[in-house]
Amino acid sequence: MKFTWKIWLLIVIVLFSFISIFNFSAFFNQGVLITSIDSNSTAFEQGLRQGQIITQIDSNTIKTIEDFSSALKNKYLSGEKVKIIISTTDSEYVLFTNSPPQITVTNIPKTSIKMGLDLVGGSRALIKAEGKDLSVDEINDLVEITSNRLNEFGLTDLKVLPVSDLSGNHFMLVEIAGATPKDLEEVLSKQGKFEAKIGNETVFIGGKEKDIASVCRGDATCAGIESCQESGAGYYCNFRFSIYLSEEAANRQAQITDTLDVSLNNSEYLSKKLDLYLDDKLVDSLFIGVGLKGSATTQIAISGSGTGETRDDAITDTEYSMHKLQTILITGSLPYKLEIVKLDTISPLLGKEFINTIFLASFAALFAVALIIFIRYRNFKSSIALLITSFSEIIIILGIASFIEWNIDLPSIAGILATIGTGIDDLIVIMDESIQSSMISLKQKLKRAFAIILGAYFTTLVSLFPLLWAGAGLLKGFAITTIIGITTGVLITRPAFADIIKQI
Amino acid sequence: MKKINLSEFHDKNYKKLLLIPLILFLISISYIFIFYSQNGDFIYKDISLTGGTAVTIYGSFDIDKLYTDLSQELPELNIRSIYDLITQEQKAVIIETTLDGKSAKERLQSYLNYELTEDNSSLEFTGSVLSDSFYQQLILAIFVAFLFMAIVVFIIFRTFVPSLAVIISAFADILMTLAVVDILGIKMSSAGIVAFLMLIGYSVDTDILLTTRILKRNEGSLNHRIFGAFKTGITMTLTSLFAILFALIIVSSFSIVLTQIFTILVIGLGFDLFNTWITNVSILKWYVEGKK
Repeated sequence: MKFTWKIWLLIVIVLFSFISIFNFSAFFNQGVLITSIDSNSTAFEQGLRQGQIITQIDSNTIKTIEDFSSALKNKYLSGEKVKIIISTTDSEYVLFTNSPPQITVTNIPKTSIKMGLDLVGGSRALIKAEGKDLSVDEINDLVEITSNRLNEFGLTDLKVLPVSDLSGNHFMLVEIAGATPKDLEEVLSKQGKFEAKIGNETVFIGGKEKDIASVCRGDATCAGIESCQESGAGYYCNFRFSIYLSEEAANRQAQITDTLDVSLNNSEYLSKKLDLYLDDKLVDSLFIGVGLKGSATTQIAISGSGTGETRDDAITDTEYSMHKLQTILITGSLPYKLEIVKLDTISPLLGKEFINTIFLASFAALFAVALIIFIRYRNFKSSIALLITSFSEIIIILGIASFIEWNIDLPSIAGILATIGTGIDDLIVIMDESIQSSMISLKQKLKRAFAIILGAYFTTLVSLFPLLWAGAGLLKGFAITTIIGITTGVLITRPAFADIIKQI
Repeated sequence: MKKINLSEFHDKNYKKLLLIPLILFLISISYIFIFYSQNGDFIYKDISLTGGTAVTIYGSFDIDKLYTDLSQELPELNIRSIYDLITQEQKAVIIETTLDGKSAKERLQSYLNYELTEDNSSLEFTGSVLSDSFYQQLILAIFVAFLFMAIVVFIIFRTFVPSLAVIISAFADILMTLAVVDILGIKMSSAGIVAFLMLIGYSVDTDILLTTRILKRNEGSLNHRIFGAFKTGITMTLTSLFAILFALIIVSSFSIVLTQIFTILVIGLGFDLFNTWITNVSILKWYVEGKK
């Protein structure tokens, strides 16, 4: 058989798809993967992080989750502090604690295919403002606030993004992989009360329309990084930005600061700090300059700092802190109530069985196709070529999905099935055109086949577009996988199949 | 010999054959019309389109007992179970109600006397605000998809009657499938509506094959070309139909979403055989014969 460039292209792309799908390091590395780690734990402080691979605990080699739990079992029964050495692929950590490390692990995944929440478990929420249409800016602020809050909450494996639908409604989509916090609903729907207090007295509360008239953001004359210095092992920068209080809030501040003394530790500041609370939790404490004592100033300079190992890191960190604080001040207390319009929490319990069922169903479908193809053509070689080509389309879709990190959810699986169906249809068209007994050359026949295939391709393609936006994109997976599938089919696998058919 | 007879039969009767799809089309349209006047909508909607909660609880339960015990507590209660395909062992029950997620969970917890966590259950809640707009948009998506498909068909063939024949067959597929879905009393989910979108793609494939073979080729007689297209087309539809049917058997015990998609596709592909090889063929033949 002569390998034409089209066949080679198919082979190369299938190989790339395999590389993209399979996590080859899993075949060489033995151990367990850290999926989450409590950021307040000793293990975290010592440098263990999510994504690392644990290979050994003390003298026990760790190959499976069972090894991991048996290595920790019985170790902390006494309740006293014990030493534990955790080895990862690239480092070694020594912990000295009286309770097991707060780490959850999993076997190293063999593939890079990311499964959707509806298959492997997790939670998903779609949120909108109650009785109000949010603008793009408002939704972006909401997304930022919510991400901050969820991060504060200790959730790291999450996605918060703005989505909109065909009618122009804007929503916030929150997706959390794995374990769902019990009070997620409450965390998500919290309005976000922001308060600035001196001691026990409230000076002003957040939100542009209340006590804060405006917050300087993105204007170098009143917001920015002031200075950076080297300190100890790293760098350290200061930021400063202005906020403008309403007159009422300014007077309140004057009354309160009037009663304060100068700080004993630092004569530049007053004795009490301005404490910023979000949902009754202290998020920041700001020094109040001596000059502000008793004055009803509407402009307040808020300062803070950031650190980093290098100067650039320190600047990035400082900018981040400033931005976070500005966001809290601008939108800290949302001027609207939130409404959860969709909340799914899917247990990971049946995920594995579900995936097995889908594999079984795919094989049954492929078997049915094989049966009909053999009955119809009674030609072993070309039927096998057809099945292999069809199978390669699945590999390519999965390869591209892994490459672009598309989560395969239930609608995506329906999309893959749709592609295989139309793919086989197209291959049958190619087969039949090529065996027609007319006078024209084989090349001409295949050209004709592609006229039909392209017609079918474009009708399917355009009919998928509306689904990319309809229903807040929750069914987008169907359109995405089908578009990937039929496009690679028309461009790569089906032309290669035509070249294969020419030779057998 | 047989083939010639069939060919003669078809030459004589192809116009009369059109009566069958026409009658079916009229029955479907009247059924849907009556259905609409009684239910205020074209379909029965499940909670993903009306708003409500679906709670999946793992374990084995007596469904009848659950139903009697809970029907007072949970409005519009609907209970289904998930089985293991081979052992037939009950894996979980899916309890659907129009209640919101929080209350549904609370009531179930007090009935079951244990806490529902992600270790023993899944919960999917859709608010009615979302489900209403969801429904409208999916219907809109179907219309737009159909319109786009029709435009592309016109661009490909550039002749009025044959293009229209393709569009009519696809429309008849959708309409007849919808009528059967309503007759079977299937409660449609958002995924079910996506199945109709898939149906557009599948149904147009064979129609494009047929029309291309008849209009853009000139070797062989008209009947010869139709029969050639028929051989290819029937293989296409049958492979899809059987592949989906086999997959349906396997997922039916497990995934309600996929079961619904596959059921709708099986019904639709069945009608597609009918509409492509009777409706579309007859209109096309009439058009080609008329031009002579």
